[in-house]
Amino acid sequence: MTKLGVYDLEVRYGKVPALGGVTLHLQEGERLFVSGPNGAGKSSLLKAIAGAVSSSHGRVELDGDIITGKSAEAIARYGLSMVPEGRDIFSTLTVEENLRVGTGIRADKQAIEGDIAEIYDAFPILGERRHANAGALSGGQQQMLAIGRGLMTNPKLMMVDEPSLGLAPNIVDQVYDTLVALQQERGLTLLIVEQSSARAARVGGRMVLLRGGQVVGDGDAAEFAERDLLKEAYFGQADQSKSTEEAL
Amino acid sequence: MNAVPQLFFDAASLGGIYAMAALGIALIFGVMNLVNFAHGEYIAFCVFALIVPSSDAVAVMFLGKAPAILLIPVLLAFGALIAVASEYVVFRQLRNANPVAMMISSFALGFVIQNALLAVYGSRPKAISLWPDLNTPVSVVGASVPLLQLIVIITTLLVVSVLALLLKKTRVGLEMRAAAENFTMARLLGVRANVVITGAFALSGAMAAAVAMIMVTQTGVADVRMGGQIMLVAFIATVIGGLGSLPGAVAAGFLIGAVSVVLQAALPLEARPFRDAFLYTLVIVSLLLRPQGLFASASAKPRV
Ligand SMILES: Nc1ncnc2c1ncn2[C@@H]1O[C@H](COP(=O)(O)OP(=O)(O)OP(=O)(O)O)[C@@H](O)[C@H]1O
Ligand SMILES: [Mg+2]
Repeated sequence: MTKLGVYDLEVRYGKVPALGGVTLHLQEGERLFVSGPNGAGKSSLLKAIAGAVSSSHGRVELDGDIITGKSAEAIARYGLSMVPEGRDIFSTLTVEENLRVGTGIRADKQAIEGDIAEIYDAFPILGERRHANAGALSGGQQQMLAIGRGLMTNPKLMMVDEPSLGLAPNIVDQVYDTLVALQQERGLTLLIVEQSSARAARVGGRMVLLRGGQVVGDGDAAEFAERDLLKEAYFGQADQSKSTEEAL
Repeated sequence: MNAVPQLFFDAASLGGIYAMAALGIALIFGVMNLVNFAHGEYIAFCVFALIVPSSDAVAVMFLGKAPAILLIPVLLAFGALIAVASEYVVFRQLRNANPVAMMISSFALGFVIQNALLAVYGSRPKAISLWPDLNTPVSVVGASVPLLQLIVIITTLLVVSVLALLLKKTRVGLEMRAAAENFTMARLLGVRANVVITGAFALSGAMAAAVAMIMVTQTGVADVRMGGQIMLVAFIATVIGGLGSLPGAVAAGFLIGAVSVVLQAALPLEARPFRDAFLYTLVIVSLLLRPQGLFASASAKPRV
């Protein structure tokens, strides 16, 4: 069943188009990576779907309901959650307060405490520091908190913008392991922005490549990773995000 | 008579009024980055709600006749109502406008309220006596203190603690704090912008009503311009306290109250008329030394 349908979606900041007509589909329970160079429009795509920026053209459907033009707070009630790039943790709130901000929209109030316990289980450091100010957490811990907070609205579709940004590789592993485990456990649909095709291939899933605000590739993440590896062998490029850009 | 306790009570009660007025402004600034210059006019509006509408020089009590147990909640609700109504009519229309446009509209709104009051009540200040008994002095630790001063101090502490509890312990308080730090993120988590903003305006308006009751009892005057003076001090308190910081606004309100009372007592007689010049010099010095405010919170972003 189609969970998310994006049709010819366009975003402009002033006159400058950031997204020039993107169409993509996401099946229920699927894991989709969105990749592409800096400025390709990955974050703009996520923000437009979540209602954080308005689109100038096109349509977004969630479970067949048109959500285009609705406010972010309304879209959250459709079961969509976004973990933004840079995390946007509430630094003056405690760790646990951060987790509770999104619980206001839930109908199943009795499941909230269990969910919080589950997040502390997945990321024990958050449990240890539950009463600490979130601003005092390290970057990796803030990423874990951002993911935990995103889950507390009890979403069906979660979008995570560059979870690996600025994190040590072993922390990235931990974050992805948890995301995958949670996805299987809850039947989540995941859309993840990830610049490294190698990383995406290791986690596994479909991959869409954006460039200049347009979809320029769609396939298995492993295929992209292979191509990038070849490029690297030919041109000796060490930087993976650059080579993803060159793919195709 | 003991001068030091006397000074303390004067400072604490004046500071309490400033602190409550400053809180009203800081609350709104916190959630929408708006310095609401109409706040002083909410105070004046609440004062005039106490008397019968007429331009006669003698004020006839209207709401003011009601017993305190009825008057206090009704006036608090009145303040909340005018604040929420002005949000609905003016600021909601400008939700996506830039902060400067919103601030200028708040000036305009203030003028509209002031002129409406002028049209109905006339421009002459009126003597009005609300709870005159509260001005009888009682003796506390060797100082002779009007009962009202004690009540102001206790009320301020009460209002501040209730507000702190509300923000810390309730759902809407959590949402208000989250929204104050990052409104977009809060909305992405399903926090309803309208609920948070309406809540902030209602609290802010109720705070204006509390200040109105205290000012009227203390001065015994209803004056259309009375909002302007206190608004100025309260605004300065929110800036010194660090815009958007609620504890900062309270602390700075008390500080300004204390400094002006101390200046009043310590300055030589011939310099006293210029007390405010000294006070504002200190304000400038404080802003030069700490432009982000004396008690700036970590989340307070530099603005304007
Ligand atoms: N708020 C904004 N105002 C103006 N232009 C913007 C804004 N946000 C993004 N842009 C522009 O839109 C384009 C797409 O940006 P976007 O952030 O969506 O890219 P991205 O693929 O997420 O990049 P990155 O990999 O750096 O995160 C860029 O050219 C960017 O400069
Ligand atoms: Mg981005």
